[in-house]
Amino acid sequence: MPSVSAGHALDLDKFLKSLKGQQLEASINSLISLLKRRQIRGSEPCAIATAHILLQVVARSKWHDVDSLLINVSRTGRRLVDAQPNELVIGNIVRRVLGLIRDEASEDRGDAGDESASEAPTPTDIVPPTSISQQWSSKRFDSVDSSTSASRPPLVSSYSSINPPKSLFHLLSTSPPTDGNVSPFKTSGASTPTWRGNASQIHALRSEVIDGIEEIKDEISQVDDQIAASAEVQIHPGDLILVHQPSPTTERFILRAAQKRKFTVLLAMAPPRRQHSPENQHATFRKKLSAAGVTVVNVMNGGLMAYMSRVNKVIIGARAVVATGGVVADAGSAAIARAAKEQGAAVVVLNGIYKLSPESPFDESSLIEWGDSSTFVSFSDGPLVSGAEIRTALTELIPPELIDTYITNLGTHSRDHLSSLIADHYKREDADFHIWEEALP
Amino acid sequence: MSHKGKNSASSAKGKKPAKSNAESKAEDVLQAVVLADSFQDRFKPFTVEKPRCLLPLANTPLIEYTLEFLAMNGVQEVYIYCGAHTNQVEDYIGRSKWASSSKLSPFSVLQFVRVADARSVGDVLRDMDKRSLVDGDFLLVHGDVVSNLILDDALAAHRKRREASAANIMTMILHSGGPDEHRTKTNGITPVFVVDTKTQRCLHYDEMNPLQSDHYLSMDPAIADELSTEFEIRADLIDAQIDICTPEVLALWSESFDYELPRRNFLHGVLKDWELNGKMIYAEIFEDGYAARASNLQMYDSISRDILGRWTFPFIPENNIFLNQTFKKHINNVIIETGASHAHDAKLQNSVIGTDTSIGSGSKIINSIVGTGCKIGSNVTLENSFIWNNTTIGDGTAVSKSILAGNVVIGKGCSIPTGSLLSYGVQISDNISFSTAAVLSTVTSTGKQVAKDTNLLGPDSNAAPFYDPEDDELDDEDPSRLQKSLIYSLANWNLSTSSISTFNSDDESDDDDDSNLLSADPAHSSRSRLSSFASDDSAGKMSFHADAVHGLLDALRADSGDFDSAKLEFMGLRLANNASDAMMRKAVATAFTRRAVELVTPEHGGLDASKAAERAFTACKGASKFVNEVGVGGGEPAQIEFILSLQRALQHYSKGQEQQQAKSATLLPAMLQQLYALDILEEEGILGWWEDARAVDGESMAALKEKCKVLVEWLENADSEDEDDSDDDDSD
Repeated sequence: MPSVSAGHALDLDKFLKSLKGQQLEASINSLISLLKRRQIRGSEPCAIATAHILLQVVARSKWHDVDSLLINVSRTGRRLVDAQPNELVIGNIVRRVLGLIRDEASEDRGDAGDESASEAPTPTDIVPPTSISQQWSSKRFDSVDSSTSASRPPLVSSYSSINPPKSLFHLLSTSPPTDGNVSPFKTSGASTPTWRGNASQIHALRSEVIDGIEEIKDEISQVDDQIAASAEVQIHPGDLILVHQPSPTTERFILRAAQKRKFTVLLAMAPPRRQHSPENQHATFRKKLSAAGVTVVNVMNGGLMAYMSRVNKVIIGARAVVATGGVVADAGSAAIARAAKEQGAAVVVLNGIYKLSPESPFDESSLIEWGDSSTFVSFSDGPLVSGAEIRTALTELIPPELIDTYITNLGTHSRDHLSSLIADHYKREDADFHIWEEALP
Repeated sequence: MSHKGKNSASSAKGKKPAKSNAESKAEDVLQAVVLADSFQDRFKPFTVEKPRCLLPLANTPLIEYTLEFLAMNGVQEVYIYCGAHTNQVEDYIGRSKWASSSKLSPFSVLQFVRVADARSVGDVLRDMDKRSLVDGDFLLVHGDVVSNLILDDALAAHRKRREASAANIMTMILHSGGPDEHRTKTNGITPVFVVDTKTQRCLHYDEMNPLQSDHYLSMDPAIADELSTEFEIRADLIDAQIDICTPEVLALWSESFDYELPRRNFLHGVLKDWELNGKMIYAEIFEDGYAARASNLQMYDSISRDILGRWTFPFIPENNIFLNQTFKKHINNVIIETGASHAHDAKLQNSVIGTDTSIGSGSKIINSIVGTGCKIGSNVTLENSFIWNNTTIGDGTAVSKSILAGNVVIGKGCSIPTGSLLSYGVQISDNISFSTAAVLSTVTSTGKQVAKDTNLLGPDSNAAPFYDPEDDELDDEDPSRLQKSLIYSLANWNLSTSSISTFNSDDESDDDDDSNLLSADPAHSSRSRLSSFASDDSAGKMSFHADAVHGLLDALRADSGDFDSAKLEFMGLRLANNASDAMMRKAVATAFTRRAVELVTPEHGGLDASKAAERAFTACKGASKFVNEVGVGGGEPAQIEFILSLQRALQHYSKGQEQQQAKSATLLPAMLQQLYALDILEEEGILGWWEDARAVDGESMAALKEKCKVLVEWLENADSEDEDDSDDDDSD
């Protein structure tokens, strides 16, 4: 993401910097505006921004028990999702945080944890996403997938597994500064008599949830590295690898493989735009690859199919993965994936676990992000502007059957495993938080 | 420069060190001045009741786009000047998320600036200078800008230039419009920028319009000689009038107290006087992105189409940028807000439908924008139209390319033709049709209740055709007239030649020998400007006329100079264009008449008629000889023709100057008398003209002729001693 930090225009960095000085509500609104104006775009920046703002919600919003915290978080989450419904990661992060809160609350209160029963619908109320209903019962992701990946780092296996030993330490170390942050910004005094819960319990919960969110943030920042760890397993010497518009994740993945292996990379790109000649796109990536001794061939999207018969693997960076296994990726990927399928080349999707969404699209077209008309047509072309209707899709949905392998930060998975991953990371009562939130008091 | 400085010592100079140690510290604050009133009335009749910046563009008030654009670019402090309807704007902003009291506002300061009795943008900016509200670089935008440009690079470039030299005061943000016709280019007035290719310095600015007298642009030769070795002259640029200014710009406004318009006066003037003021203005020309001003109804239409075409991304309804919107994109590029309902057999295409709007069965809505809370009956056809909030349209009504403002009620079976404008609250009974575009309002241009026109609009109506008295005051040649309607059309304009020398078409029709040159027939007058360039040799003749008149006028204005060179030039033109005697005569007559009329006007001394005539013909050495040889050059028939030409030119020209009419009317006898005295015209010629039937064609021609009665009588008596008396009579 090219960020012009010297200028005035807003972007993710500026937003994160502004968080400290602003009131919570103003921060949420400025994030919503940034999402709507597409000044924060792309799954990773959106995920980071969402995690940051939810951390602020937990730390600074007014809540006196678990229920009200859940409501605060899901309200904010719903507004964020509405602001950019095409970025599924926003919803994912919100669900992760909601799940985190539920976990912490049930652990803290021990047996008293009644929060899930209080407002969550009974399992029969929700129509679960297709084909994964039987997976709901598995409470936690276990060793099924970890066995497939030797390189899986222990740190991020699951945020909740490392929570129990922390509570006392964090109670002492993190809550005072958090509290200090809170009081000046609170709209209505820090200690209102309505606090039902035990104050110390609240503090403990707050700091634990904050820690959990920090872990999610860490996870997001480490995803690229962890995915890249699988590179050597996937890419073999002499392979011809096709990469479509490499995202930072994909670049890292290829570069890691390039350290050990000699192979050829076909770089597929969208048609060049004015001033954005292909030479500028991914220039540093190509330089690095050449430095590592990997042959790079640039291919325009149109000329791809001729090469496809020789390609061994197609690597696609996902923007999001839906519950059915369909992948939301840059426009153009679906054609490549289909061609690869026809020619028998393996299609590998790289996606951080946070991009895996429990949602499954009812209407596929609703997931597609439509962009600026001037992406491919110049606005200076008067006759075309007035005479033609121009639609530019930024993303498209690759059908699940075209994809062979999903590589996440947790390892390598097949499509069948996705449902267990989903069950492992999201609580089913949060699956539809953006729908049922309306019914909350 | 004085600096009031909210932020203690952040003067323009104090910023440089702050900038150099860069990003660690908070950025310097970007300020913006929004001119929410542009002192024009091109949105009438709508702006009688509401300010322009609150008119809805794709269901969102215009000013929201402007403020979002500023917020997007990280502007922190905003100063808004409202002008007309200040209270409405302040009220709206006060309730919106932008209000400084609102916690949600991205701006740290949003302040309204009130300027007592400002009459132009210039007045406002001069006042801003006095108050010293801005103390650093600021953006100057209008309240009707729609843009998605990220100005970071332009701002950085501007800052760099400013640090290099304090004379670099301003950077304009322009957008390339391409060589072809483009809907988002302003119609009527074409801005022409001369920009240095290397430094991007703007060297010259001018505006052209199809009504102007010549098709030329004059450029200071110094531009090529001294200022630049390589420059572009661009007439294709879309100018959204987004400027990055330093406070020196405001100071410059103050210095030139008579500048009114930011472009035509200020930019043109500052660039022209570059030697005097030593200031430099730059132009950043964007190829990508979008920037345009809804400066008139045609631009409103174009920008709405651009929004539908997603060119303004991300400012499109689907993104719900603006508070509380819930638009969703459906098939056929129909964008519907939650809460709107339509019958299943309603045909919708490429349209925006606001919330709580209902659309009846069998209705067809194509390329239209419908506001919130509208009730559209069944079998209604809306094409390319804009329906604002809470409007009701009865069954079976057809509306094409029109604007229906808020709370309009249209009965059943009506038909609203292309180009109609129905202002707020207009009601129309059933089965009303208009043959031509209707402009209807419930109030007059001064805001009073109108007397309802039930004959035209049916018994239930409360409105009448809107009539703006200011229209009459506008000069015929003022190009802003072209921008007053929703549909840009040159059909009713006579564009064939220069306006100074084009005679009224009804007079032309009987012009025997050279009517073709003046395009008397409607087919000619309705042709577009382009085709008039491209057409046969009549174009050449027209340009001869325009060029010749101009050349002569310049020579005459020089007053003292030698007329021989002008004569040489004239003859050269004549040969080049193969002009006939009649054409030459006409050109000569027009030039001298113009000069004489000019001399009568107060700006040029307000001479009385006889003096003006004398000066026009005799001030330049050789002028009278020239008239004799070239203009008349012959016997009685030629003299008659020449007088007729004079008469027509005078009649045409004095039209534009109502207050001068009385005075200039007496010019004809004065000129005739002068010519008689100079022995250019003979008694026979004048008397021959007096008898000629063509001299009394039309009311004003007859009136002009009547003025010469005394002169003719005197000639008939041929009594030289009465000369003085008759002269006095004439000039009274």
